[in-house]
Amino acid sequence: MTLDQIGLIAGFVCTLLIFSYLLGDNFLYRLAIYAFAGITAGYVTVVTVESVILPWIRGTFGSGDPIGLVVGAVPLVLGVLLLLKSVNRYQRAGNIALAVLIGVGAAVGLVGAISGTLLPVMRDTVETLRPGDNAESNIALVNGFIIIGGVMCTLVYFGRIARRGPDGAPQRPRLFGRFISTLGQGFVVIALGALYGGAILTGLTILSERLAFIFLTIGGG
Amino acid sequence: MGRIATLIASALAISIGLIVLVGLLTGSTLAGLTGLVLQIAVITAAMTVLIGVLNLLILHLRRIFGRERGIIYSITLVVSFLLVIALYVLDQPDARRVVLEDVAVSIESTLSALLVFALVYGAYRLMRRRVTWAAVLFTAIVLITLLGAVPLSQLALLEQLRAWILAVPASAGARGLLLGIALAAIIAGMRVLIGQERAVRE
Repeated sequence: MTLDQIGLIAGFVCTLLIFSYLLGDNFLYRLAIYAFAGITAGYVTVVTVESVILPWIRGTFGSGDPIGLVVGAVPLVLGVLLLLKSVNRYQRAGNIALAVLIGVGAAVGLVGAISGTLLPVMRDTVETLRPGDNAESNIALVNGFIIIGGVMCTLVYFGRIARRGPDGAPQRPRLFGRFISTLGQGFVVIALGALYGGAILTGLTILSERLAFIFLTIGGG
Repeated sequence: MGRIATLIASALAISIGLIVLVGLLTGSTLAGLTGLVLQIAVITAAMTVLIGVLNLLILHLRRIFGRERGIIYSITLVVSFLLVIALYVLDQPDARRVVLEDVAVSIESTLSALLVFALVYGAYRLMRRRVTWAAVLFTAIVLITLLGAVPLSQLALLEQLRAWILAVPASAGARGLLLGIALAAIIAGMRVLIGQERAVRE
């Protein structure tokens, strides 16, 4: 039996084990899930060591430069500090390593949110009001206004659910604010409904592929 | 002592955050230092992943040696973990491919396929629990998205409606969601940089 045939049979068996969940949570399903968790943990370990940690160690400790040695030791020390978080007595020492991660994460997240999401989405949204000079430009312009209005209503809706009074309860806006906010909620519901439908379609595609795999394997195709 | 450690952690988070922020925004004066700090953060994050895996293994080894309930699952997890590591150490690329592509990908895609049942059941439960205008709109949009994807000439109108919904109102809602997330990320980042975030202070 070749390695490819073993792989085919293993894939077939694993597919059936996971599909057994349709009969309810059972031993075979759990076995496959735990095997998957183990394989994923092993794969993550291999990739992390091979692609991230070893190149760093080679580049710093392997250079022989004293500054490189010190710099190379910094993340390793931070890693040890993180390990100390599980020891009650030295738990606070781990906060130093977390502080480094949170500080870097906050700065990268801030820059990423501004340059990667906020500015491009705003620019792209405003662009919808410049449909061009073709025959359907009027329809495109109306659509552009709907998009801009929808975005504004959605942001008003977020503002409303985020605004809270001194007692912690959401503040009730005036009638106009409530109307705009309800419109915004409608746009959010439409977006989530479309995403949900898209997820079902994707799942159906994968399901048909899996069923085809099962029938082809049984038929020896 | 604890207060000093908290102060050091807060000062470290703020100073490192500001260095990275200035370095990323200006791109010149602090670029070298920013690059180094980012590299250190990436390696530290990689260490946290390894610590997570180690924690997982310790948990399951405890279950195995303590002969606790569900020992067979823990043995399966540890054995499959060791199998992947062994195939890497013994340098067996073909066997590794079988384990990763044929086994792991099969399980992953079958789990994604199972998601269909959960999603459809979720939509059904939504309408059964409480009928609100938002629930009705949500279900209608899901149905239009699904039926509009069926390639039948009788459903051409539904297909056009689906395309319009995806391009205009759904797009507007998604843009609003993205902007909301971005604004929340900016506020969270700013709170860390001015030392107001509880996660850093505690």
